[in-house]
Amino acid sequence: MIEDCLKLTAYFAERERSGDRFLGEALVGVCERHQLLTSIVMRGTEGFGSHQVLQTDRLLSLSEDLPMVLVAVDSRPRIEAALPDIGAASAHGLLTLERARLLTGQVDRVALPEDLHEATKLTVYCGRHERVGRRPAFVASVDLLRQYGLRSATAVLGVDGTAHGVRERAQFFGANAQVPLMIIAVGSGAQLQPVLPDLAALMERPVMTLERVRICKVDGERLAEPRLVADSDETGLRTWVKLMVHADHDTRHAGRPLFVEIVRRLRAAGARGATVLQGIWGYHGDRAPQGDRLLSLRRHVPTTTIVVDVPERVLDWFAIIDELTDQGGVVTSELVPAFHARGAWGETGGLALADRTRRP
Amino acid sequence: MTVGTWILVALLGGTGSIARFAVDGWVSERLGAGEFPLGTFLVNLSGAALLGGVAGAAVTGNAQVLAATATLGSYTTLSTWMLESHRLTQDDQLLIAGANLAGSLLVGFAAVAAGHAIGAAL
Repeated sequence: MIEDCLKLTAYFAERERSGDRFLGEALVGVCERHQLLTSIVMRGTEGFGSHQVLQTDRLLSLSEDLPMVLVAVDSRPRIEAALPDIGAASAHGLLTLERARLLTGQVDRVALPEDLHEATKLTVYCGRHERVGRRPAFVASVDLLRQYGLRSATAVLGVDGTAHGVRERAQFFGANAQVPLMIIAVGSGAQLQPVLPDLAALMERPVMTLERVRICKVDGERLAEPRLVADSDETGLRTWVKLMVHADHDTRHAGRPLFVEIVRRLRAAGARGATVLQGIWGYHGDRAPQGDRLLSLRRHVPTTTIVVDVPERVLDWFAIIDELTDQGGVVTSELVPAFHARGAWGETGGLALADRTRRP
Repeated sequence: MTVGTWILVALLGGTGSIARFAVDGWVSERLGAGEFPLGTFLVNLSGAALLGGVAGAAVTGNAQVLAATATLGSYTTLSTWMLESHRLTQDDQLLIAGANLAGSLLVGFAAVAAGHAIGAAL
């Protein structure tokens, strides 16, 4: 079935605390208490926040407080019911709300809503060791997405989360079978529509979301400028913009890893934050799906770099990203209808969501 | 060694690793945003020079255990040097990885020799 839902995303630092617990744990605790349909906490590999201190797993001394991302999805009333607890748990960091379409259970041939036709971001939530025959479900899903011609797909492993309301936390010892995993894919509505029933059939209890995006750049070819303003039917409150760059460890700019360069340049230019998530399997553009290989020193895993800011500044960040993605990467932009950043410096934005007014 | 010496080894060992943490963190935050792991490099370099100095000054007995093995031994780090070199090869930064491996080796050896000469002259 297909229904409207909300996606809550929290960007924060790994060592940020909430009372006597780490913030990440406290946030998943809220998702567990509210039995949210799905939530996943991912550990970033590089990034910075409004305090401007770079964190990276490239240097041991700068890897003690890596950026973290929590994504939680459920119906609007259920997410809104959890918001006060989420807000109370996190004193520092960024919270955003995005509208999405939720697909669960058996998916028959779906007619995509009109606004998803330009380009769509599909997110699939499943378990790490869920299998299709003898293959991991995420490998089978990424293959399927590529067969149908989607521009990119990245599977990112979570460290904690909930699936269908039940807590699934990664442990040092243990099978970790249901630790959540998220696949982010981008393509046109026409590419996506036929893949959805097949994809849903791969999973035991599929949970997928669809969001409207604009594909700005693919493999060095510029396709569009970021979309900065909402259509007239979504007006009301101000919106923010999220840029995502899907690439991999092999994607370079001037001989250096693309994500390292993007983070370095954005930080130097005064962006208020950026987060790099590292996947375990995926592809972008024309490349074949890949992950790390046994006995290979070089890493080949996919990377996704995320920047959220006000529309005026996003154009500056897009100019930097545009310059750096000359050799590869898929760049997308999407509107973020609610944004609330808090830190030692104060706070900006809020989580009130503009109601969709009806089309004329 | 007496119980008192063991307790001092533990305290000075802890102090050495806190000093590494502080120096490495300070250097990495200010200068370390590039690819070369400068923080670990400078920690190992300064530790090597100081250890050379301790050896050159011919410190012996408990004083040697406390200064050399406990303090400087926990200040310097082979494992971080290796880990960060490996991490560079993962990003295909082979030249920088090679420079980090060979550079630390050569400059570190020179630092011990210089420290030794200074320690002996004291």
